[in-house]
Amino acid sequence: MNSSNQTDSLHPLEIQVLRALGATTSESLKDSELVQSTTLTPSQISMAVGWLLTKQLVSLVSETTTTYVALTDVGTQFQQAASPPEWILQVVYAASQEGQITTVKDLQATGQFQPSELSRAFGLLKKEEALSLGPGGSLQTTEKKSAVVGSLRKLLNQINEKAYPLNSFSDDHQALLRQYAVKRGNTQEPFRIDDHTERAYALTHEGRNLLPNLRENAAQEISQLTPELLKDGSWRNCSFRKYSIHLRPPRLAVGRRHAYREFLDTVKTKLTSMGFQEMRGELVETEFWDMDALFMPQFHPARAIHDVYFVKEPTHAKRIPEPFLRQVAETHKNGGGTGSKGWQYSYDPERAKRLVLRSQGTAVSARTLATNPPNPSKFFSIARCFRYDQVDATHATDFFQVEGIVLGSDINFRTLLGLLKLFATEMAQAKEIRFLPAYFPFTEPSVEMHVRHPKLGWMELGGAGLFRSEVTVPLGVTVPVIAWGLGLDRMAMVALGIQDIRDLFTSDLDAVRNMRRKF
Amino acid sequence: MPTISIFQEDFSQLVGQLASMEDIEKWLPLVKGEVKDVSHDTGEMRIELQDTNRPDLWCVEGIARQIRAVLTGSLLPYSFFSSRGRTKRRIQVLQGMETVRPFVAACASLSYSMTQEGLAQCIQTQEKLADAFGRKRETVSIGLYRLASIAFPVTYGLVKPDEVRFTPLGFEEKMTPHEVLTLHPKGLEYGGILTNCERLPLLWDTNGQVLSFPPIINSRELGEVHIGNTDLLVEVTGTDLSMVVLALNIFASNLADRGATIEPIDIVYPYETTMGKTVRTPLDMGSAQSVSVQAIEQALGMSLGVKAIQAALASYGYQVKATRQSVSVKLPAYRNDFMHVMDVAEDVAITRGYDSFSPIMPQTFTVGALSQQEQTSDRLRDLLVGFGFQEMFSNILASRQEFVERMRLADTEHELLVEVDNVMSLTYACLRPSILPCLLRVEALSPRVFYPHLLFEVGEVAQVDREADVGSRTILSLAAISAHPGANFSEMHSYLDLLMYYMAWPYDLEPVSHPSFLDGRGGQIRCQDQMVGYIGEFHPEVLEAWQIDMPTSGFEFEIRLPKI
Repeated sequence: MNSSNQTDSLHPLEIQVLRALGATTSESLKDSELVQSTTLTPSQISMAVGWLLTKQLVSLVSETTTTYVALTDVGTQFQQAASPPEWILQVVYAASQEGQITTVKDLQATGQFQPSELSRAFGLLKKEEALSLGPGGSLQTTEKKSAVVGSLRKLLNQINEKAYPLNSFSDDHQALLRQYAVKRGNTQEPFRIDDHTERAYALTHEGRNLLPNLRENAAQEISQLTPELLKDGSWRNCSFRKYSIHLRPPRLAVGRRHAYREFLDTVKTKLTSMGFQEMRGELVETEFWDMDALFMPQFHPARAIHDVYFVKEPTHAKRIPEPFLRQVAETHKNGGGTGSKGWQYSYDPERAKRLVLRSQGTAVSARTLATNPPNPSKFFSIARCFRYDQVDATHATDFFQVEGIVLGSDINFRTLLGLLKLFATEMAQAKEIRFLPAYFPFTEPSVEMHVRHPKLGWMELGGAGLFRSEVTVPLGVTVPVIAWGLGLDRMAMVALGIQDIRDLFTSDLDAVRNMRRKF
Repeated sequence: MPTISIFQEDFSQLVGQLASMEDIEKWLPLVKGEVKDVSHDTGEMRIELQDTNRPDLWCVEGIARQIRAVLTGSLLPYSFFSSRGRTKRRIQVLQGMETVRPFVAACASLSYSMTQEGLAQCIQTQEKLADAFGRKRETVSIGLYRLASIAFPVTYGLVKPDEVRFTPLGFEEKMTPHEVLTLHPKGLEYGGILTNCERLPLLWDTNGQVLSFPPIINSRELGEVHIGNTDLLVEVTGTDLSMVVLALNIFASNLADRGATIEPIDIVYPYETTMGKTVRTPLDMGSAQSVSVQAIEQALGMSLGVKAIQAALASYGYQVKATRQSVSVKLPAYRNDFMHVMDVAEDVAITRGYDSFSPIMPQTFTVGALSQQEQTSDRLRDLLVGFGFQEMFSNILASRQEFVERMRLADTEHELLVEVDNVMSLTYACLRPSILPCLLRVEALSPRVFYPHLLFEVGEVAQVDREADVGSRTILSLAAISAHPGANFSEMHSYLDLLMYYMAWPYDLEPVSHPSFLDGRGGQIRCQDQMVGYIGEFHPEVLEAWQIDMPTSGFEFEIRLPKI
C-alpha cells in the first residue's frame, strides 16, 4: 500500500497517537504518558494503539505488570468509621467504661454489620486474645492489643489516598491485604487487588516515515455519514475519512444452528430424499424392545450391569404387549414358529419388563416392526442412545445412532449391498467400497461396510444385515427386512475439526460459536 | 468380543503354509476377525473376533483351521469323535453333583510335547472360553493336568469345605477348599459362583490326590503344566452339558491340530443326562439338517445351484450331502451355532466372498418423510436462529444437583427425575427433565465469551409420569435463555410472543410462581388451556448456584402437536 493511501485512511485517534510518539524526546511513551500528551481517554488510546500495532506503524517496547491495591466502597466506609473487629473493640470498651456489659447478642442487635462479618471478627479477636468471652456471652476487652486491627487501620488510612503497588508493603501486610481483598463470591471486603499492565510504545521505521504526511485537519473529517448530513445536504461540504479496509472486522454474536446438529440435519434430509420415513422412540425403554425383541438372549454378555444403564424407579414396566411377549419368549426358548432352534434356555418374562435407558437405536426399529408396517417401506431414526462406558475422548455418556430398516419382498443379500452402496455415495461421497462379514445378534447375514472417503481415506461407515426371522416373525413381519446402522460421528468430527467426541456436545459457547463444517 | 494374540510363525505352522502378516489380514474376514495391533518385531498380532456364537474361532488353532479349510476346499473330520470300544480312562461322577455343577467332560492328549507357544495359546484359550463363553466360569471352566501323575479312575464329587487339603496353583502351602475361597485371589474372584453350597465340587484320583477345585483353581501337584510335558488331561466342568462338551471339543481339536493324539474318556453319571448316563467325550453332538437350496438362493439373491452351495459349505468345514432341492448339512463337532437356515446362507456368502455378490438397488418406490415432531422442531429452530439465538446441543445425562438443587427445585413438585440405578458417576446419574439447566451450564462455563448470550436448544427430555407404561414420558421441549447486563422478563416475553405468533399458537401467561424464577417476574405458559411451560427471570439464588454473574432470563415449553 502506498503511503498517501495509508495516511488517508488513518483515524484521527491514530494520528494523535502518532504525533505524540513523534514529538517525544524519549525513546518510547507509556500508556499513562500517552494520556497526558494527547487529548484522548485511556480506552481511545488503547483502541488507536491496537490499530497501529496491526498496521505495524507502532511497536510494543516494554510491558510491565504491577499489582495494585486500592480501597473498595466497603473499604472507604471502614476507613471513615471502623472495620468490624475495630468497631467491636470500641463498643465493648466504651460500654465497660460506663460499667455496662456487652453481649454478642447486643452487638448483633445493632445491625451494624452482617452476622457473618461479626463472627469472623469475633474469631479473629478471640484468636488474638484481644477479647474474652465471659458467662452469658458477655464480652470484655483484654490487655492485649489486636495487631490485625492496628494494621488494618494503618493500611486503610494509607491506601485511602490512592492505589499503591502491592509489593510496596511488608510481607505481613501483603498477606493481610490479600486476606481482606475482594474475591469471587465475596464482594464485601475493604481492599481490591488488581493487576495493571503498563505498556510502552515507540514508532516503527514506517511510522516515523509517515509523520511528515499526517493530515492537519483530520479532526474535521467525517467518519460516519448521518441522517442529518443527508437531510440538510451538508455532506457536500465534508470530506470523508478513508477506511483501512484490510483490518479484521469486529466479531458479531449471531443466530446460528449448532454445527453438529446441522450435520445431522443434512443426514436426515438425505435419508428422506432416498424415501425413508422418520420413526421416533422413547429414551426409557424396556429390555424387551431394547434387546429381547432383537433376539439377544437374556444371558448375552452385553446385557450385564456393566453395559446398560438400568432405571432406578420404577424398575419394571407395567406390561409388555401381547402377542409379542409370548411370541418372542417362544422364539428365545425353542424358535417358536420361526424355523429356528432358538437359544434353548428358560426365558424370563419379568426380566423383559426391566427398564433401561435405550442402548441402541435398533430398539426403535423393533417397535416399528410391531406396528404392521406396509410392504414395501423404509424407515430411519436418529436416536439418542446410552452406554455404560467410562467417559473419555471416544466415549460420550449419550450419543446419536443413525439407524433404520427396509422392508420388501425383493429384499435379499444383494439388495442389502445395493442399499449400502447408495449410502456410501450419498453419505460419504465414496467411490470405493469394501463389504466384510460381520456379526450382530439380530442379523444374518451381517455386513460391515468400509468406504474410501475423499478426505478421510478408508473408514468403517456402518453395519447392516438381514434381520433374522427370529426378530421379524414374532413381531408379525413375514417379508425380508434389512437393518442398517451408520457410524457417522467420526465423519462429523473430522468435518467439524474436533478430536474429542465430547466436544460434539460441549457447553463452551465460544467453541460452539467457532465450530463449522469444513466439508 | 474377545481379543486374542496370535504369532505369525505359529499361525503359519497351523495353517500349513508360510503366511505373511498381510496374508493373515486378507484372510481374517473368513473368521470375522479384525487386526487391532501388529508388532513386526515379534510377529505378534492382536485380533478381535466379532462372532460371539463361534467360540471355536477365539484361538489361533481355530482361526487357522477355518482358513485352512477354505484354502484347501475341505477338512477331514477328527477321528477321535467316532472312537468305539473300551476306553482306558474313566471319570466317576458322584451323587449330589446335579445340584451344584452337574457336568464334566474330559479327554487325554498324548505324544504332543508342549511348546512355549503351544502352552501360551492353551492358557489363552482356556481363559477366553471360561470368561466370555463360560460367563466368567459360571457355566464353563477348564483345567489342564499332567496325565502321567494321575491314577484313574478320577472321581468328581462333593466334599465338606474343610475335609481335604491340597496346594492350589500360585501358593506354596496346602489349603482346604474353604481356605481357598477366603484367601486365594481366584477364590475371592470366582467364589461367588459357589455361594450357598454346603459342600463343594472337587476332582480327585484313585490315590486321593486332588486334581482341582472347580471352577476356582487347580492343584499345583497335578495341575501345573510345563513346557515339554507330553501327556495331558483336559477337563471341563459346568452347568450346561452341551456347552461343557463343546468347550472340550474345541480344546481337543486344537491339541489335535498341534499334533496330539486324543483319547476319549468315559464320564459315568449316577443320574440321567440329555446325553445318557455314560457320556464318552469329546462327543460330536451335531446332526445333519436338511436345508432348502431355494431358501439359500432367495436369501442371497442369486441362483447359485446345488453344486456351488455344496462346494462352498464343504470348503467352510461342513459335511454336506446334496439332493436336487436341498442340501443335508452337518456342522463340524467344534461348532454348535446352527439355529436357522440363514446361518448356513451366511456361511455360503462368506466362503464365496462378499465381493462376489454384485449389489443391486431395491426397485420399489417409497415416500420419505420427517415426523410431525421433527418438522415442527425444525420450524421452531429456524425462527429462533432468525431471532439471533445460537443453537446448543447438550448431553442429556447429568446430575441431580444440576437439574434440581441448582434450580431451587429441591422438595418441590418439580424434583422428580428419571434416575439411573447402576450409576457409574454421580455426574451422569439422571435424565434431564428440562433443557434450561443445560443452557445455564453453558452460561456458567462461558462468562468470558462476548455478550450478549442468546441460546436455545430443542430436544428430548424425560418427565416422570407414574401413569405411563414405563413410568416416564419422553417429550420434545424447547428452551431459550438470554444473558447480558440488561436481560429481563420483557425481552424474553417479546421473543416468546413473536415465536408463538409465527407458529400461530395462541397462548396466555399466568402469574404462577416457580422456584427457579423471581417471584412476580415469571409465569406459566398456557396453550389451549393447558400448561405447557414457564417463562421468567432466573432467581439470583439459581444464578449464584451456577456461579453466573450475569442477569439471565429464559423460557421453556413442551412442543405439542396441534390438534387437528
